[in-house]
This record gives sequence, structure tokens and C-alpha cells, in this order.
Amino acid sequence: MIKSLRIVLASGLLAAAGLIVTNNAAAEDKVVKVGILHSLTGTMAISETSLRDVLLYAFDQINASGGVMGCKIEPVVVDGASNWPLFAEKAKQLLEEDKVSVTFGCWTSVSRKSVLPVFEKDNGMLFYPVQYEGEELSKNIFYTAEAVNQQATPAVDYLLQQGKKKFYLIGTDYVYPQTTNLILYKYLLLHGVPVENIGGGLRKDADGKVISAGKYVPFGHTDFQQIVADIKQFAASGDACVINTINGDSNVPFFKEVVAAGLTPSDCPVVSFSLAEDELRSMPTKDMVGELGCWTYFMSLKTPENAAFLKSWYAWLETENYPGVVKMKRAVDSPMVLSYDGVYLWKAAVEKAGSFDVDKVRAVLESGAITFTGPGGKVTMQANHHVTKTVYIGETKANGQFKILKEFPDVYGEPFQLKTLDAKLAAGK
Amino acid sequence: MTKFAFWLTLLLILAGLAVSRLAAAPAAPAGDAATRAALVRAILTDGPGRQKLLSDLANSGSRLVRDVLTYWTRDEIVLYAAPDGTSIPVFLEEQQDSEGKARAVRIDNGRFLADPAGREMRFASGDLNSVDTDMRLRSTIQQALDTLTLADPDPDARRSAVVKLGNSQKRQYIPILQARLPLERDAEVRKALGEAIALLGMNDPDPAVRVASINRLAQLQSLGSIDALSRVAAAPGQAPEVAEAARAAVAVINRHIANVNFFGTIFRGASLGSILLVVALGLAITFGLMGIINMAHGEMIAVGAYTSYVVQNVFGSGFGFAITLPFSMGGRLLSFGFTIPGINATGWWYQSYFLFAIPLSFLTAALAGLVVERSVIQFLYRRPLESLLATWGVSLVMQQLFRMVFGANNVQVDSPAWLLGHFSCDDVNFGYNRVFVIIFAVLIVLGTWLLLTKTPLGLLIRSVMQNRDMAACMGVRTNRVNMMTFAFGSGLAGLAGAFLSQIGNVGPSLGQNYIVDSFMTVVVGGVGSIVGTVCAAAGIGTADQVLQQVLGSPVMGKIIVLAAIILFLQWKPGGLFSTRSRSLD
Repeated sequence: MIKSLRIVLASGLLAAAGLIVTNNAAAEDKVVKVGILHSLTGTMAISETSLRDVLLYAFDQINASGGVMGCKIEPVVVDGASNWPLFAEKAKQLLEEDKVSVTFGCWTSVSRKSVLPVFEKDNGMLFYPVQYEGEELSKNIFYTAEAVNQQATPAVDYLLQQGKKKFYLIGTDYVYPQTTNLILYKYLLLHGVPVENIGGGLRKDADGKVISAGKYVPFGHTDFQQIVADIKQFAASGDACVINTINGDSNVPFFKEVVAAGLTPSDCPVVSFSLAEDELRSMPTKDMVGELGCWTYFMSLKTPENAAFLKSWYAWLETENYPGVVKMKRAVDSPMVLSYDGVYLWKAAVEKAGSFDVDKVRAVLESGAITFTGPGGKVTMQANHHVTKTVYIGETKANGQFKILKEFPDVYGEPFQLKTLDAKLAAGK
Repeated sequence: MTKFAFWLTLLLILAGLAVSRLAAAPAAPAGDAATRAALVRAILTDGPGRQKLLSDLANSGSRLVRDVLTYWTRDEIVLYAAPDGTSIPVFLEEQQDSEGKARAVRIDNGRFLADPAGREMRFASGDLNSVDTDMRLRSTIQQALDTLTLADPDPDARRSAVVKLGNSQKRQYIPILQARLPLERDAEVRKALGEAIALLGMNDPDPAVRVASINRLAQLQSLGSIDALSRVAAAPGQAPEVAEAARAAVAVINRHIANVNFFGTIFRGASLGSILLVVALGLAITFGLMGIINMAHGEMIAVGAYTSYVVQNVFGSGFGFAITLPFSMGGRLLSFGFTIPGINATGWWYQSYFLFAIPLSFLTAALAGLVVERSVIQFLYRRPLESLLATWGVSLVMQQLFRMVFGANNVQVDSPAWLLGHFSCDDVNFGYNRVFVIIFAVLIVLGTWLLLTKTPLGLLIRSVMQNRDMAACMGVRTNRVNMMTFAFGSGLAGLAGAFLSQIGNVGPSLGQNYIVDSFMTVVVGGVGSIVGTVCAAAGIGTADQVLQQVLGSPVMGKIIVLAAIILFLQWKPGGLFSTRSRSLD
């Protein structure tokens, strides 16, 4: 027993020594430190580890082709642990101790809001890749994410085109669905949809101003009987559809109830904004054929860039040996591709600026001249820190992929929708 | 013995079904050549011509057309590019071989696609490109299907077709629907036909016809027409008598909606209550009767749910897993795994997997309970607080095991078709899965009650739970009774898991989502009382649904229910039916 303990200790020491040696060897190359700030544990880990993986892949790809300005990228991976205050601490650690040049990270809006003051105080740079509600613009954050006008409003445009007249709004009760639905409520009014054709209910403040539109359920909600019965009554008169911003695995009981109630996509399609290929892997997709999704990337896109990307991504998965990267049954979806695009936009900006300095790189990014043709098509960084990109509407297939129905090319990312819509509505009256 | 005979009969019936299903699956449906040729033309034509071809097909009334169009809406018509440059539309058989490939049935002649040498060709689902469809084409196909389904043998399908045509606002459907009316025997469908004809009649240029249509809709209490009626009532320039009739009709239908919501809420309350009951009943045994603060109850539910998942896969293409341990020994990673071959069942045989999953879930969870009891809990019967910590630890270990075996993501459990539909009675919907859970809950409560009160084992259980030392003095092997009781409680949790796999997620954290509800139900009902658990589940379920309906918000409804429970427990700390038991002394 003691002997084996000694062996363990000795091998541990050897391993530690080995680490030190390799670290010294690495230090001789020129390196640039880059932060990855995602939840690798906790509830968000299921979604966010995929982003960590694709970032590591992008760095390996760049390092293999010579790095950024001759410097190898050295990833500094920290775990936000689905704990929002911890995100801020980890951001501080990345910026003040590790002194990273740029950070890629965050999924939930609340984690982004939590790190924002840290990045502003220490003048860091963060790339944020996941569809979000907008109404925010920090000089230290670049949003490769879909803004509301790059996902929700194009989807509504498509449904209006298809002759839908009644819209039922349902979502999880937190900032993204609330804001998105409020924007959609105003957008629908602006497009001549009468108030009584917007389902889910309205909440007004004391002055009678609408502050919330749609039906909301808590995270992890499982009982959708009442809501689906409500939708069924709403849809009984035809030409109705459901706009679904439910987040996470509550979608499974929701869709099972929808199927059990006999609401078929040809009667009343559901368009979901939080379900991409990665989530569909654990959904009952056979019952969801024909339901809609809207993203700026679909795995089923038939472009040479996407084919090359998928090929090299799966090849990388075969050979990589980072701890904790799952190799089996992987899918790619929009947040992953937008993370990947972010890395290349940053690389292009650094090379043009000739420096890793945050202020210089930002000036180049804001010039509007930085573009990258990624798996989802051409993306261009705008002066307002958002990205011009192509929006696709797709239809779920039984194999968990999307069939692309329509594309809106080169949509300009516009974060402040509420104010614009309010002004337009006021002008219309 | 009778039990054995029952299962044997069931097994034989199911086996018979499977055999008849296999025998009944012919190589291809027979059909006449002209229809087939028209179908192929419709599939291969692109553009406006398609519309015309489809509506011609719709009038043919052929069963074959319906099958092919249904495949088409599901995106399952694929094109095979023949060596001579033509495209042959085919669909893939449902039956797949071990490589996930299936034979392709040609639409032009109903035979299997074969290569020049005459061998049948096999394809995986992604090998061939599907025929282009979009929403618009699909709704055209759907309309063709609707006309076809007006003559469908299934009344539900007929009714939904009628409703769709009624909402189409196209008066050209009126003659089609009227022609159907004298042939229709089913009362529901007749009502829908009347509604649809009246709805379409509201577009008539003659005001008298419009008023008559509106009155007819009011008489039928048609939910689907309320929007159209409100529009007519508010439309400027509408003839006054029409607007008046429409207003009256809206009022009638609104009263009807209130009634539908009332009865619907009662049913939904009963169904939610049944779910709570199914979930909490196991805990009522392990916590209520035995006094173990069993934090691993949720994971026993998850064991049941995962068992359903495995059974489903065994009925499908098989189930296998490999675990690599996160540490190495002797320089190599330790890994092990195993595979259960699938039996590749299809049709009704596959759909029946759930019937096998139910008893297996009970057994697996009971076995897991047995292991936990022997390894951890048997040492803690006199230390309830330590049992809380120990079972919490057990639950964490089990969650990690689920992650290792099944992955961190949720797994897909397909509901069998016979649990997915619903029937309506005067516009109140009864989902089959909801009706099923109510019956299921009644049955397992009945079973538990019979076991506890009518069997020798039940007598022993009750005696040990009331006074362990005295029971031991009387010669009862309390150790064994504890073991059996805990296994039984865990088995009940497993049954709950089997059911939950049909309505929600199956994932490593499944148990966490239900543990609070379970404890809440048991505590409100009164620890130690099965009757209390039943009453508490029914009460909480109904209150939740009523509040949701009244307040229009699930969040507020839940908050008020929880607040009410807190107040209730202040008033009656022992719950609805407080009993004294060993652990509470």
C-alpha cells in the first residue's frame, strides 16, 4: 500500500516537473494570451462547452498556419460555472493577472451584463457570440451575436409573407424573451397586426403603457397543459403561429404537449429562437418536423466554406486531446460558428492594426473594413460593434437538421430596436 | 399463476400483432398505372403546373395518392438519379437494416428500386436528395390531402380536414362539404361540417344567407369562428341585421368558452394532480412510512425514465455505451462498455415498447433501491438527519453515473403513437397521455393500498414501521422488511420515471426537478399517510391549474400555491392527515 502511494507521489512529481519543462519550452516562442470565459460546469455547461471546443479548434487552426502576426495563441480557459458573479471575478482574473489580449465568452445575457463593468474598467475586449436582446452597446464588447433584427424580426417577416395573421408569444421569464417579445409586439403592430391577434397576454404599467407582451414560464417549467389549451383556442380560427422563446429543456414538454393537442405545423407552426442543431440532438425531432427556426447559420448550408469547415472540425475532433472535449455525436450550430467568426475577425483586425493593443484593434474593427467569409457566409464588423450577416429561415427535419426555406442576405445588425419602433409607431399615429 | 397467465396472454397478443404487421407489410401498395404516372408528374414538375396536377389528384380519391402525399409532406419522397439521367421518385421503407439502410419503393410502379443486375438497392436516409417542398407547396398538398381525407375511415382525420376547409374562406369548398354531409355518420364530424359550411357561408354576398350562417354558428357554439364573427360584428358598412346577429353569436360562444375552460381546468388539475401523486407515492413510502429523508428519490425516478429509454432503444436499433474512466492505471485509460443488440421492431410492435418499459422500470428502480438500502441506508435507520446527507450523496453519485453512461445531454424518448393523440368532448380536449396518467395513478395507488392492507407483506411492513423493536420481538425479520419496503418505494419512483419520460425530458438532472414537488406533496398530505398524499396531490394540482387559468400566468399561479402551502403548514404542521410514526416520536 505504502509502496504504491510512493509510486503515485513520485509520478505526480515527475508529471509536475514535466509540465514546468514544457511551459519553459513554450515561453521561448512568441505567444499571445487569449481568454475563454464560458461555463464548463453547472446548468449552462451543456451549451457553453461547445463554444469552448470550437474556440480551441479555431486557435489550433490558426496556430497551425503560423499564428497571429507570428505569435502562437495560448488559450487561457476559465470556468464561469454558470454563476454570474463568478463570471465577473474570472473576467478580472483574465484581464489583471493573465493580461489576455482578447476574451471570447459568455452565453446568457446576465453573465454578459455581469462582466461588462470589468471589461470597461480594465479596458479589455470581449467577443460575444449568442443571439441576444440588444439594447446594449459597450465600447469594450463586440457582438458577433444575432441582434433581434437578425433573428426575430426576419422570422416574423417570413410568417407574414406566408399569410399568418395571428401570433402567439411564449417564452421563459427572463430578460431575453421579455425584451424580444416586447420588440416583436411593437413590430407586429407596426405591420398592421391588430392587438387582439397577438396572443399570450399583455402587461401594462400604471399609465397604460405595455411593458410586457406574451406568456411566460419559469426556467425548467414542465406543465404546459393550460398554455397549449390556450394556444389551441387561439389557433382555432386559422392562420395562427407561435413565436417560441422558451429556453433550455422546457422545450421538450412544450413540444410534446403541442403534438398531443394536435397542433400541426401546417395549421399552426412554431418558430423557435433558442433551438439550434445542438439542442435538437436531445429533442423529439420526429414530432417536430416542419416547425421553424431562424439563425445566421445552419449546418445544412451548402457552401464550400461550410463544407470545408465541417470537414476540418470533425477531423480536429478525431485528433485533439484537450481534456473534457466530447468527441461523439457532435453538431455545429450558429453560436459556435459566430464564436469562430469572432476569432477570425479579431485576427484580421490585429494584423491590420499591427498590434495587440486593445485601443488600436478596436479602431480597426470599428472602421467597418474587417470582413471574414465564414461557414455561414460573409460577416462584416460594423462601427456599432455588431455584425452584418445573412439570416436564414429553416424548417426542422426528422434528423435534427434544418432545411433552409429562405435567406435574407447581409442584414445590418441594429441593437436598439425599442426606441426606433417607438418612434415609428408614434409617427404613424 | 393467474398473473403469469395474464402476462403470457399479453405477450402472445403482442407477438401476434407483430407477426400480422409483418405479414401485412406488402412489397408495395397496389395501384393503377394512371394514378402513379400522375403522381410522378406532380412530383417532378416544378412551378405553377404542380398546383393543377395536385388538385386533379385530390379528386381521384385514391388511397395510394394519400399515402404518397403524406410521405411528401414529411419530406420523405426522395429522388434517385438513374444512370440514364432521369430522376426516379422513391420513398424509403420504414424497416431499416443493421446499417440503418432501407429499400426504396418506386412511386411509378410500386416495386423496389433495383440496380441493372436486378438486385434491390438500399439507402440510408441522407443518401438521396428529397424533393423540394416549402410551406406554400406543403399547404397545397395539405389541401389536396384534406379533400382526400373527407372520406377517410378515421373520424378524427375527417374532422380536422373539414375544419381546415372551413377556415380556408374559399366558397368553392361549400359544394364538396355539402356533398359529404348526407354520407357522414359521425356526430362530431357532422357538427364540424355544419360549422365549416356556415363559416364559408359568411362570405356570401346575400345578407340573408350571412345572417342564417351566423345563427347556425351560434347554435353550433363554434369556437373556431369567433374571430370571423367578431370581425363581421365590427366591420364598417355591414348590414345592421348581420352585425346584430354576429354580436349575439359572439356572446353565445363566449359563454361556451367559459364552460369549456371550466371543465378543461378540472381535467388538467386532475392530470397534474395525478403526476404529482405518481411522483410522490414512492416518497410517501420511503420518507412517509420509513422516515428516511430520501434525497435520492428523484434519482430513482430518473432510473425508471432511463430504463424506458433503454427499452425503447432495444426495440429499435439497440443500445450500447462505453465509459472511459477519468484516470489511468498502468499507463492506459480504463474503459469498459457493453452493447445490447436491438430487435429492430417496427409499427405496432415498436409502439408497444412502453408496455414493457413500465414493469421493467419498476424492477430496475427497485433493484437500485435494494442496492442503496443494503449499502447505505440500513446503517442509518435510527439517524434520520444523517440519512439526509447520505442519500444526498447517493443522489450525486447516481447523477454522475447517468452522465457517464448516457451523456450529459438529455436523451430522446419517443412517445408511442397511442399516447400522442387526444379526443374532444364538446370542445374540451382530453390528451391520451393525460387520461393515461390519471388511470395509471389510480391503478398504482390501488396496488399500493392492496399491498399494504391485504397481504402478509403489508402487515409486516405496517408493524415494522409502527414499532420496529416490538416487531422484532415478535419474530419479524425487520431487516428484510426494511429492505423490501425501500425497494418497493424505489420501484414506485421508477414507475413515475417511466411515465415522465413520455411527457418531458430525460436527463441526468431529471430527478432534481421533481424532488421538491415530491416532498411538498408528502409533507402537505401528512408524513406517514398514503391517503394524505393522494389528497394533497389532487388539491395542489387543481389549485395550480385553477390559479393559472384565473391569473393567466403560470409563474404567479405557482407562487400563490407555494405561499398557500406555507400558510397551511403554519396552521396544521402535521399536514392534512397527521399520523404518529416511529421517526416522528
